[in-house]
Amino acid sequence: MLVSENIKRQMEETGWIRRMFEEGINMKKIYGDANVFDFSLGNPFIEPPDQLIRAIIDTLNDPVPGMHRYMPNNGYEEVREEIALYLTELYNLPFKSDHVYMTAGSAGGINILLKSMLNSGDEVIVPKPYFMEYRYYVESHGGIIKLVSTDDRFQLDMDKINSAITPKTKAILINSPNNPTGVVYEEEKLKELASLLSEYRKRGHKIYIISDDAYRKLVFDDIKLPNIFKIYDLVISATSHSKDLALPGERIGYIAISPKIKEVKSLVTALMFSSRALGFVNAPALFQRVIGKFQKNSVDILDYQQKRDFVYNTLIEAGFECVKPRGAFYAFPKSPMKDELKFVKIMQEEERILVVPGRGFGKPGYFRIAYCVPFDKIERAAEGFKNIGKRYIKKG
Amino acid sequence: MISKKISESMKGSSWIRAMFEEGERLKKLYGNENIFDFTLGNPITEPPRALKQELIRLITSQEKGMHRYMSNSGYEDVREEIAAFHKERTGIGFTKDHIIMTVGSAGGINVILKAMLDPGDEVIVLNPYFVEFKFYIENHGGIMRLVDTSEDFHLDLDRIKDAINERTKAIIINSPNNPTGVIYSEDELKSLASILKGYSSDGKKIFIISDEAYRKIIYDEIKFPDIVNIYDDTVTIISHSKDLALPGERIGYIAISPKIKDAQTLIDAAIFANRTLGFINAPAIMQRLVKGFQKNSVDIKDYQKKRNAIYNILIESGYETVKPLGAFYIFPKSPIEDDIEFIKYLQKYHILAVPGTGFGKRGYFRLAYCVEMDVIERSASYFKEAIKDIRP
Repeated sequence: MLVSENIKRQMEETGWIRRMFEEGINMKKIYGDANVFDFSLGNPFIEPPDQLIRAIIDTLNDPVPGMHRYMPNNGYEEVREEIALYLTELYNLPFKSDHVYMTAGSAGGINILLKSMLNSGDEVIVPKPYFMEYRYYVESHGGIIKLVSTDDRFQLDMDKINSAITPKTKAILINSPNNPTGVVYEEEKLKELASLLSEYRKRGHKIYIISDDAYRKLVFDDIKLPNIFKIYDLVISATSHSKDLALPGERIGYIAISPKIKEVKSLVTALMFSSRALGFVNAPALFQRVIGKFQKNSVDILDYQQKRDFVYNTLIEAGFECVKPRGAFYAFPKSPMKDELKFVKIMQEEERILVVPGRGFGKPGYFRIAYCVPFDKIERAAEGFKNIGKRYIKKG
Repeated sequence: MISKKISESMKGSSWIRAMFEEGERLKKLYGNENIFDFTLGNPITEPPRALKQELIRLITSQEKGMHRYMSNSGYEDVREEIAAFHKERTGIGFTKDHIIMTVGSAGGINVILKAMLDPGDEVIVLNPYFVEFKFYIENHGGIMRLVDTSEDFHLDLDRIKDAINERTKAIIINSPNNPTGVIYSEDELKSLASILKGYSSDGKKIFIISDEAYRKIIYDEIKFPDIVNIYDDTVTIISHSKDLALPGERIGYIAISPKIKDAQTLIDAAIFANRTLGFINAPAIMQRLVKGFQKNSVDIKDYQKKRNAIYNILIESGYETVKPLGAFYIFPKSPIEDDIEFIKYLQKYHILAVPGTGFGKRGYFRLAYCVEMDVIERSASYFKEAIKDIRP
């Protein structure tokens, strides 16, 4: 009665996350922060690039009148132009300022996009394991989420995607580099996806790819991220500067609409309506102002790669099975016990290691390690992983 | 590719765009300075100097972790400070747990509605009204019940009573009001409270959602009645867009009254909604910034002078209008019945205004006087001529 039934149900479903989180806080109180190995949160401890902070200071010391006022809902024209130039170079397609829409992070971007596109009952395909919030985003706007399993390397499984498509399918929401697996979708797979979707398009059924690019710059081993905008026409990406510029708390990112989509004008008008109606109104003004100049920058990727190497090697040495992550800052090993929730609790109790069970990503039997923590934390946790391996993983 | 519902909502407001474009055309033709644009609630006022200095201090400090995620409800110390401010003012036991930092009041209202509404629940909104309320309610499966206010834009309690049914979940109050500038008196709010109390029984209650975006912009030394002191089941929505002139930065908060029975359940649901609607948290640096400025505001005297100027111009020219006591809007009667026609007509006199139809109230128009004083002063003769020519 007091709160919405829908919210109540959603909160109950995820109640165990809260309990785990509280248990973690409790442990930190008992053992001290330094002695708890918290790999549960995707909240990087890295600081934004110095030049970016300096650019903000310069802006504030030389203020433009009205710099904290409302601007058009899609953001400052000159910032969108800067980003469009960058995207043109990056994707080799003629992005204009109209193709760029400033948002409150990618979470804000995906929400206004889904609100703008979905009719009640429309379906959105999401490959799993997946970032659980997608479910809420889709359901908030009357959509239905259709989860589709990936293959054993967490790559897209075209047969499964094909069987999940119905006349109600409006979009497929992909996230590469992926949270929680760290996998980068291979160019071949994306091309197969494009040709599958193109088949439907020929028959008059347009299916959009919504590409959550929050981790786009965090790729390792000199991998080049496939150019999704070249591979398929109907692509809209949501980018965030939470990870690449380490500004998660400031809520800044943007939507990029493919220049190959013809209805750009009406989509932008709809996005403007949706950002007002949902209460975002516009992306925060201050960070918008400088972000255009930092499109090519990013936090130190090599630092993340070293951490990836260390975590991955530790896991393998300890006897875990794990697909090698190629990006983001997550690893998603298999749990040695079928009931990964039980295993996660064991790691917590025996080695004070906090991770998130795979069911939090729609994939029981696995767990997620977020290694966006100081290096020494990872090093000191290595012993714990090895101990666990000795105790719970059967060799051979 | 666009949702049908959105296409329809957008169609309904196509005349706004037409008007806006005509305004832009006039500005190009005659120059910005020769057009009197009273359409936008986007104040020209700059944030207080001390606040600007604090922002520079904050960002320069480069304190570790200051741009990271924090808990979805916002920084604890910021919420503590805000809770203390509410406690001091109202005498009610607000703690940090009752405060949730949000992306402005638009974000805050969406969050609280998402937390409260089941499909088909009704929310009463008083007409004339800020049209976005309708979209906020419909976003979350609710139904808006519009209830007319009295002649002078105050609460019409009989009509409100008539509109209540078993699906009524909340009533949104916006005082000082956009678009009328009216402030509801303590007495009328008390009467409203006693009506609403009559409908509360086991587990059933009607919330007041009090949108107080303009609460610090009040004139003539009026004391603003705190609704939370009048009615227990109150959720207050605050924005710093107007009082600290930070609309583009998207910062505000929800204050959930400790007097709500089982308030914690509502708090948890609101925090969850803040996350899952994609806000995640209110912008980090702005949270820290507004912490020390709860008692501050932009220069209210300046707005009062502008209110006086525009009110006098309108009365002297022969327009009928209720005198606004707050916010920066005035809502005069259109001299002809068709307000959209009248707005087009005003454009001939280089005056841009919003028709009352845009606020659910035909036959009126809204002027936002958060513009330079000079613009108001120079517009006087044009207002005069416009009404003289239409009513010779």
